[in-house]
Amino acid sequence: MLLFLSAALFSTPPPARAQNPLSENPLSKEQTVLLQPVLVQAVMCEAIERFKPVNQAVVFSISLGRVFCFTAFDPVPRETIVYHRWYRQDRLISNAKLVLNPPKWSSFSSMQLRDADKGPWRVEVVDGQENLMKTLRFSIVD
Amino acid sequence: MGQSFYHFFGIGWQGFFDIALNSYILFRLYVLFRGTNVLRVLFAMGVLWVLRQVAVSMGLVVTSWAMQGVIAGAALVIIIVFRNEISSVLQTRDLKSFFWGIPRYQRKTPVGIIVESVYELARKKIGALIVLPLNRELESVVQKGIVWQGKLSKEMLVSIFWEDNPVHDGAAVIQGDRITDVGVILPLSKRTDLPSYFGTRHRAAIGLTEQTDALVIVVSEERGKITLVKDNRVYDINDSTVLEKLLFKHAGDDTSAKGVKKHTRELAAAAAICLICVTGLWLSFSRGMETLATHDIPVEFIKSDQNMEIFSSTASNVKLLLSGSRPLIRSLQPDRITVKLNLTNTVPGINKLAVSRNDVALPPGIVVKDIEPSLIEVLVDVPVKRELSVQPSWTGRLSPDLIMTRAITSPAKISVIGPHQVLKNMETLFTEPLFLDGITASGSMTAQIALHPTTIRLEDQKKGRVQVEYTIQKRETMSP
Repeated sequence: MLLFLSAALFSTPPPARAQNPLSENPLSKEQTVLLQPVLVQAVMCEAIERFKPVNQAVVFSISLGRVFCFTAFDPVPRETIVYHRWYRQDRLISNAKLVLNPPKWSSFSSMQLRDADKGPWRVEVVDGQENLMKTLRFSIVD
Repeated sequence: MGQSFYHFFGIGWQGFFDIALNSYILFRLYVLFRGTNVLRVLFAMGVLWVLRQVAVSMGLVVTSWAMQGVIAGAALVIIIVFRNEISSVLQTRDLKSFFWGIPRYQRKTPVGIIVESVYELARKKIGALIVLPLNRELESVVQKGIVWQGKLSKEMLVSIFWEDNPVHDGAAVIQGDRITDVGVILPLSKRTDLPSYFGTRHRAAIGLTEQTDALVIVVSEERGKITLVKDNRVYDINDSTVLEKLLFKHAGDDTSAKGVKKHTRELAAAAAICLICVTGLWLSFSRGMETLATHDIPVEFIKSDQNMEIFSSTASNVKLLLSGSRPLIRSLQPDRITVKLNLTNTVPGINKLAVSRNDVALPPGIVVKDIEPSLIEVLVDVPVKRELSVQPSWTGRLSPDLIMTRAITSPAKISVIGPHQVLKNMETLFTEPLFLDGITASGSMTAQIALHPTTIRLEDQKKGRVQVEYTIQKRETMSP
């Protein structure tokens, strides 16, 4: 599989807190206490436009060619890193390292898709201490 | 005892039956033909057969070929030369005596009357020739005289040989307690080593015993001497007890404890020899007729650690190529074959186990030629329980103007049991493929959990289906 990963770092006003339907890991209060960045939005989308996710979805056509994982953090108490870990059917495909800067930060990673990538996927958002912040589940279809 | 014998020789019930039947047939042949030359020739043929087998095993091609020819010829010769003995055995006996009875010769022969008569004849110097047949018929050897069929008595016997009696020159034949024939002409012996005082009666007596198993008593007319001839041997009788003893022996009426014991011992020894010979022959044949067979046998895995569980194996059956004697292979039932693999030295994870001949238990006499597969991969591990998230596995094509923004499964997590090594790397349970084609609006559907790998199983088998609720929205047009 040919994988292209891209990440964008940009400081934008954080969007309203997103209620991702696939969210399984509610944000931990302890994380804020430990000066960890607070994840306020994590979505899978078809594109990023003007620093915002476009067409959030859980099913993506392979014909799109690329799929994005968008995350927004507010606050970001200090410069820190997070990871976007892409799994295809429980198999780690890619691990994107993203740097977050205070006071708030949005970032995304993406995956270029090939025909063989069809099937169920998930992206785990993990902080620098390997704490799982969010799991996003989606499928790549025809 | 039977079990250990079975294990030692590898003989099934068919083998036992085969050996018992043929041993009995051989024993019956001995009983029917004992005392005749047929048995001796058969014995000689048996020796020849053994020699041929030895020659074959030693690779003596010409010798074995010659032996085979001699045996074949001898078989033909037996039928021709001993046709009378054979026909007498087959014709003269009833079914009971043929298949079961033990011939006791002339049980009812009144030996005392014969002894008294013979001594009376000797005292009066009346020449006499008395024949007591045994197994073999006399018809083909003697010239038939006059049928008499009279009850045996001293007076009658003496009167038959009275010189004025027309039939006194021939022999009298006694069977049981009856004089069956008189004036019978016996064949004369051509021996040249006989004493000069032996007359025609003696030559006739010896001539008959040369060709039959009969006993002949001769009373000399000139000397008044008694002579007994049996099996071509001549006994001069000077004591009535000796004559009596020899007659009893011939008649099979040796009813003394010693005589019965001897007779029983003889039959027991014959039976044992028949059994040994047939068993040896059976083993020789069964070993010589090796054949092959293939059996598909399930593998039994023997666990030593009860906490460990077998989650999968690359093969649950092995194909065994077996070799053994044809009767053993034919009678072999698959349930008498076991293949057991010991898991004592296995570790959690995939273990490669070699299936060797030692792992295969077979009835004796059968060997393993090949095992397929010879290597089995077995996944053994400690079973653990884990709760995994359920994710719908969508497939097909959604209408391009629609977007599925949300999909929730209910329940969101399901407990499964599986090997530790497998479950530690699993996070998700996927559903069987859910088709997007035809979906135009939000809704729900039921989905079956796909258990991959197959080594895992649901904790509750009834919870294998989940409900999937999905939300469909119109696609936002992306800016160019």
